[in-house]
Amino acid sequence: MTQVRKLYVWQLPVRFYHWNNAICIVALCLTGFLIGKPIALQTAAEASSSYWFGIIRFTHFVFAFLFFFNFMFRTFWGFVGNDYARWYHFIPLKKKQWREIVQVLKIDILQATGKPIESVGHNSLAGFTYFITFLFFTLQSFTGFALYADMSTSWFPHLFAWISPILGGDLLTRQIHHILMWGFIIFAIIHVYLVFYHDYAEKRGVTSSMIGGWKFIEEEKETEK
Amino acid sequence: MANRIVVDPITRIEGHLRIEAEIKDGKITDAWSSGTMVRGIEIILKGRDPRDAWAFTERVCGVCTTVHALASVRSVEDALGIVVPPNAELIRNLMFCAQYMQDHVVHFYHLHALDWVDVVSALSADPDKTSAIAQSISNYPKSSPKYFADLKNRLKAFVDSGQLGIFANGYWGHKAYKLPPEVNLIGVAHYLEALEWQKEIVKVHTIFGGKNPHPNYLVGGVPCSLNLSEVNAINTERLAYVGKLIDDAATFIEQVYIPDLLAIAGFYKDWGAIGGGLTNYMAYGDLPVNGVGDPKSFKFPRGIILNRDLSKVVELDAKNADQIQEYISHSYYDYSDGDNAGKHPWDGETKLNYTGPKPPYEFIDVEKKYSWLKTPRWQGKAMEVGPLARCLVGYASGRKDFIDAVTGVLTALNVPVEALFSTLGRTAARGIETKLVAGWAKEFYGKLLESIKGGDTRTFTSEKWDPDTWSAEAKGVGLTEAPRGALAHWIVIKDKKIDNYQMVVPSTWNASPRDAKGQRSAYEESLIGTPIADPENPLEILRTIHSFDPCIACAVH
Amino acid sequence: MNKKPKTVYEEFQAKGHSRRDFLKFCTMTAAFLGLEYSAVGKVVKALENKPRPAVIWLHFQECTCCSESFIRSSHPLVADIVLDKISLDYTETLMAAAGHQAEKSLQDTMAKFKGEYILLVEGSIPTDANGAYCCIGGKSAMQIVEEVAEGAKAVIAWGNCASSGCVQAANPNPTGAKPVHKVISGKPVINVQGCPPIAEVMAAVVVHILVFDTIPQLDGLGRPKEFYSRRVHDTCYRRPNYDAGLFVNSFDDENARKGYCLYKMGCRGPVTYNACGVTKWNNGVSFPIQSGHPCIGCSEANFWDNGPFYQHLPSFPGFGIETTADEIGVGLGLVTVAGIAAHAITTNVRKRRALFGKRVDDSNVDISKE
Ligand code: HEM
Ligand code: HEM
Ligand code: NFV
Ligand code: SF4
Ligand code: SF4
Ligand code: F3S
Ligand SMILES: [Mg+2]
Repeated sequence: MTQVRKLYVWQLPVRFYHWNNAICIVALCLTGFLIGKPIALQTAAEASSSYWFGIIRFTHFVFAFLFFFNFMFRTFWGFVGNDYARWYHFIPLKKKQWREIVQVLKIDILQATGKPIESVGHNSLAGFTYFITFLFFTLQSFTGFALYADMSTSWFPHLFAWISPILGGDLLTRQIHHILMWGFIIFAIIHVYLVFYHDYAEKRGVTSSMIGGWKFIEEEKETEK
Repeated sequence: MANRIVVDPITRIEGHLRIEAEIKDGKITDAWSSGTMVRGIEIILKGRDPRDAWAFTERVCGVCTTVHALASVRSVEDALGIVVPPNAELIRNLMFCAQYMQDHVVHFYHLHALDWVDVVSALSADPDKTSAIAQSISNYPKSSPKYFADLKNRLKAFVDSGQLGIFANGYWGHKAYKLPPEVNLIGVAHYLEALEWQKEIVKVHTIFGGKNPHPNYLVGGVPCSLNLSEVNAINTERLAYVGKLIDDAATFIEQVYIPDLLAIAGFYKDWGAIGGGLTNYMAYGDLPVNGVGDPKSFKFPRGIILNRDLSKVVELDAKNADQIQEYISHSYYDYSDGDNAGKHPWDGETKLNYTGPKPPYEFIDVEKKYSWLKTPRWQGKAMEVGPLARCLVGYASGRKDFIDAVTGVLTALNVPVEALFSTLGRTAARGIETKLVAGWAKEFYGKLLESIKGGDTRTFTSEKWDPDTWSAEAKGVGLTEAPRGALAHWIVIKDKKIDNYQMVVPSTWNASPRDAKGQRSAYEESLIGTPIADPENPLEILRTIHSFDPCIACAVH
Repeated sequence: MNKKPKTVYEEFQAKGHSRRDFLKFCTMTAAFLGLEYSAVGKVVKALENKPRPAVIWLHFQECTCCSESFIRSSHPLVADIVLDKISLDYTETLMAAAGHQAEKSLQDTMAKFKGEYILLVEGSIPTDANGAYCCIGGKSAMQIVEEVAEGAKAVIAWGNCASSGCVQAANPNPTGAKPVHKVISGKPVINVQGCPPIAEVMAAVVVHILVFDTIPQLDGLGRPKEFYSRRVHDTCYRRPNYDAGLFVNSFDDENARKGYCLYKMGCRGPVTYNACGVTKWNNGVSFPIQSGHPCIGCSEANFWDNGPFYQHLPSFPGFGIETTADEIGVGLGLVTVAGIAAHAITTNVRKRRALFGKRVDDSNVDISKE
């Protein structure tokens, strides 16, 4: 008989991080896009009566800090959190993980049939994808703070001031920062889709798991650890 | 026995020029002109946005800064069928005039004068006498005995310091120097005055183009806006500034440059028979009054003079594939159809291929390829371009302003019209046209004010700005008169990108190596027969070469 | 001309000025440089004891507009620098001597002031074809710069050419043009960036070295912080328009006539470090943005390959002119959405087939009940 087991996968800090992160990324993409391509209002306005672009930029910077420290926190949690939160799920160092990556690609993406995927937290492909997004987070934060360094008197952004000279100046730094935005957007689209897809296909309660923390695993007989 | 001498670097020019000459019995019997630096800007332009080309080509030269930008935007506008608003034309003309005034004055004092003025001799000038001479030739207020005495002291202290800086190892005391000490002292005084003055007139560029050197241009007009109710645009204050700069420049040219030119030329009339060189002269003309499409309206007329025949002006067509062609028989390039082909610039090719001696070298092999300049020809003929060509075309076209100006100078110096075909003639022509240009600048300035008063403040047309409005293939040519002569850029645009870009530059015409038929270009031809008093100190070579105002970065690009 | 060079003080005496005049001059110099009064003593000493420093200015792959810019300086005036402050012993643009005589000037200075002279370089150095793309007196630029840099006390790279290769180093860099710091080693190189640099900035860098006897503090790209510590954007007088979101949309449109921000016209001010907004050009008359043209980033390395200029960010490499990262991003986004749609459809088909199959084959299990 099929039995449904309830499993606490996502601890509160992970969920807190996740939604914080999601909000930050949406806000940063929106404000970032506007920074890259502002609308030019044909108005008779005076500079002194408006500050909308300044506010957009300010918003970008506020969320930038939130985003960065939230990410730092997640990295920390990757070393102290529960098994599902641990860093090794993200980096495919073991043969088993690579095998799973191939398997997921076959079943989920190419929609071949086969043995169901065992992992409870993220599967290895998801984990690896998140690892890549973490690299994006790092790059985006580094380029962002490198650009921010010269707009700020605070010591913190200046920790990143060495980055622009390596890239030959601010323009390439900015170009990279801008291009990465599209990486985030595309990740978000696929990610949200896949979450709903898995819910639909596997019925493990993936969507709600990021809210309540619990997943519901359907098992034939034996439980897997 | 012929004796080969080398002058490399030729200094007090722009760029890297080498002259080799053979001397026999105190006269030059043959000469070779070699440009020794290349950058490949025509190659770099391929595949880029045509609207950016002006900025790239402007960097061909910072001495005649602006002229390549102007030729470039005109070539793109010609290709795309853009007609710029009248105000843009006037502003471009004002920038053009400012460039001429600055460039010609700097050439005269800082690049050419030391060929005629002996700085060391100025130390023995009598300040009182100097003052008297200065006051007899001009109303320039800085001419008191005290002024010249102070200057003489400054010069003496400088020389006594033992550190002669830029004046070290000059040809001081050479017997070809003929000016009395007092005129030499005036020359030194105005060398310094002109150095201070030249940084003023260029502010016309700063006002309209944001900076100098290398002010900004724009395909479709000019980047600045005119707005009389805005502090952030060209407004009355900015216009008044331009007006003052033009007035001051005209005063300097009238009170300092022209009187000095005449005074110095008076001592060197023998140079009215030396350095003539070629007998064909060409000018594209410029300073449109009614748009670039109407060359008849230009202040500088267009045309060609053949065999020094001033009774006739021949027409030219820059788009005709048989008229203007470039050769590479003696230049370090390859053509896909062989070394002796001549190519119209729309079909032009730029493929670097150095075949000269490996540096360090002592002599170049003049039998083979020996220069980075290509060799342009008009219907196979070598042409001289530059101030002299412009004056001659203006004169031969029967234009009253030119005839008056030219005759004025000839009468003042008491020389026949033939004296124009010479080293001295070239240097005089530069002064003549500077004076004309100063007058025209005032005229254009007045027209700009009138136009604004009439309610037209447009400076740009956005009609063809968007590349989606361009046809898949377009060709254009932008003609102008740079200070050193006829300049043109040819562009081929394909799929919104530059497919081919070729520049044929005034100094390319003048300083190029021999063509496929072995004909010499202007520099080489003009050196033939030049007397050389002391081959170790070939001052005379500098005189004739400097009279062209060489710009080799331009010539090669 | 082998006399012992005079100090600035001796020159003052020779010109008939008293020591009091000299001190006054020093105070003024100090004031000009913004020094405290107590520092005046230092300036006096500096100028009293030194002969005019020997300076060599080399010219390579250049347009000579750095030289042109230099002579536009109005404080200090260039004549005063060249006649009174330094001894400009070699510069092809202005020197009286030519040919062998010019080469002699160079050799004399290198020998006499070994380890003392300041080397200024204008233009880049071509490294392909054995250096044959730029030769002077039969020697290649590479050979000359190595030889002259050897005995130099400090090296100033003028402009974008000498600092980062400029236009001739733009893709495909047909001559292998390189900036000075990539050709010589073991010497401090000051990159006075710009195409050209601002006249007064050029003059001030020279004055800085003379008076303070140190090279100015440099940023990560070798530019003196004194002039390149701020983005054009941070000192731009149109910045309030930027913050207010007031942008020019097309040249000479209503917004351009009001002097709004040029960001959307491709202004590189936000990524360009230069003194244009403060020092401005030609003795403070204007600067590109003030005259209506966006900054093209002329004091940044590789700015030529970061075009088109009239577009906010460079074109995406490998795609045509005008193809921005955004267009490609939108394209990829659409592809993603299309992929997802396809995926969703096949998922549905598969799942339905699975449901259908189950119902037929295994009637014991009623999965639809949940
Ligand atoms: C998901 C993360 C982020 C995204 C999607 C994002 C996106 C963007 C985009 C598209 C731009 C406009 C670039 C242009 O076209 O010029 C931008 C600008 C900028 N971003 Fe971010 N960004 C993110 C994170 C950050 C972070 C962590 C920082 C750190 C401070 C940051 C700082 C900046 C700065 C300083 C600018 C330039 C603003 C200006 O010059 O006015 N960004 N961002
Ligand atoms: C409807 C909205 C969303 C839902 C329901 C959702 C749900 C989830 C779930 C269930 C996981 C765990 C995935 C797994 O099973 O392996 C997850 C992980 C993740 N999600 Fe989302 N997500 C949403 C939106 C977003 C957005 C907008 C972003 C940011 C662009 C985002 C970024 C991430 C990241 C980075 C992880 C990895 C988390 C970690 O383990 O640290 N999510 N999400
Ligand atoms: N030859 C030349 Fe130029 C000029 N005049 C340009 O076209 O100098 Ni640099
Ligand atoms: S940096 Fe620019 S201005 Fe200076 S020489 Fe090079 S091209 Fe000319
Ligand atoms: S014009 Fe350029 S530098 Fe000035 S505020 Fe706008 S973007 Fe910044
Ligand atoms: S183009 Fe250059 S001149 Fe200044 S405003 Fe930009 S750095
Ligand atoms: Mg050419």
